[in-house]
Amino acid sequence: MKALVLDGCREGDYLAMEAVLEMTTALAGRVDDVEVVKLRELVISPCAGCFGCWTRTPGECVVQDDAATVLRSYLAADVVAYVTPVTFGGYSSQLKMMLDRCIPLLDPRFTIVGGEVHHLLRYRRYPKTIVLGTLPSPDAESERLFASLVARNGFNLHQTMEAEVLVGVPDPPSARQCAERLLDRIGVTA
Amino acid sequence: MNALILVGSPKGRTSASWMLGSKLGEGLRDHGVTVQYGMVHHELRSGEGTGKLLDLVDSSDLVVLSFPLYVDSLPAPLTRLLELVAERRGRTAAAGIPRLAVVVQCGFPEAHQCDTAIGICRRFAGFAGMHWAGDLAMGMGGSLEGDFRRLPGGGKKILEALGKTAEALARGGDIPDEAKAVFARPLMPRWLYTLTGNLGWRLKIRKNKALRPIGYRPYAQD
Repeated sequence: MKALVLDGCREGDYLAMEAVLEMTTALAGRVDDVEVVKLRELVISPCAGCFGCWTRTPGECVVQDDAATVLRSYLAADVVAYVTPVTFGGYSSQLKMMLDRCIPLLDPRFTIVGGEVHHLLRYRRYPKTIVLGTLPSPDAESERLFASLVARNGFNLHQTMEAEVLVGVPDPPSARQCAERLLDRIGVTA
Repeated sequence: MNALILVGSPKGRTSASWMLGSKLGEGLRDHGVTVQYGMVHHELRSGEGTGKLLDLVDSSDLVVLSFPLYVDSLPAPLTRLLELVAERRGRTAAAGIPRLAVVVQCGFPEAHQCDTAIGICRRFAGFAGMHWAGDLAMGMGGSLEGDFRRLPGGGKKILEALGKTAEALARGGDIPDEAKAVFARPLMPRWLYTLTGNLGWRLKIRKNKALRPIGYRPYAQD
């Protein structure tokens, strides 16, 4: 079983970096292979909104940069974990830059999911996705928004995505517990 | 009053975000507001452009974010700008309390799919010490292609909502609930939008002479 960690934190964000470390350790105890992608070290251009990945080269972005490599790793994984500082209730811009470039994973045609219109899936199989967010101090509204965002992202992938928020100063046992809980919830066992 | 309209679409002046944002800007100007525009994707490519946008935010009484929904949220460069604004306003004792309003559209038929993105903008306003002046959200953004007159009903409802919004914002008020409700009203039945949308994707593929079928799987593992 393979896992991919998308590290969406900035250099110097010790709480989020701790979360990445503990998520990686938790995954290593349950799957055979863990790949960690530090998004801040890659060259990923913003999505140009051209829909070339749907109407020119279906399934592939017309911009050739590191995003394509991440997409291949994403589809090769059984579990994908996003780790991000909770940013106004959403993802960090670092992580969001990559997520915006995930559009080629979907088929442009519409379908109904959960009573709403969403896109068809392009592939037969997608990894289970979990999200670990971090907040330096309690913020109920940001946590609520974050949970809502992750749930909505799940609709896009026609799956239930699970989220946890780690609150406070860097604390390895707490971060590890959050990561283990997420893996339990999606049924990834050692 | 100084207003800054930040266009969060990478397509800049050819985008639906520009179409809506600039129409709102026209309405604000008609009410005596000085309006400036910022193209977020373009400006954030350079340190100079980023600095310019941050200065413009600082000197504005009203900031409007006009953007497309990307993955249930804001496009990444706009998120980056908000991170920078919050950092800057947290570091320095910013003068005054600017107001923040949002105009967002998504390619799905349901306007409520924009709710999380609006919540994020509202939370940002709290962090950055800005007054939340409300939002307009619409679905079926794929219908917005350059000219309001080509929309069902000549786009009258959208123009009416933008007009009322401009009037309210120009006198220092918040976006009226009435404008919000009119703006969110579907432009056509959902089945018609999805039918024409699905047909539209196929036509674009044909027009672009794409060498692959619409459902091609370049990274398939199976």
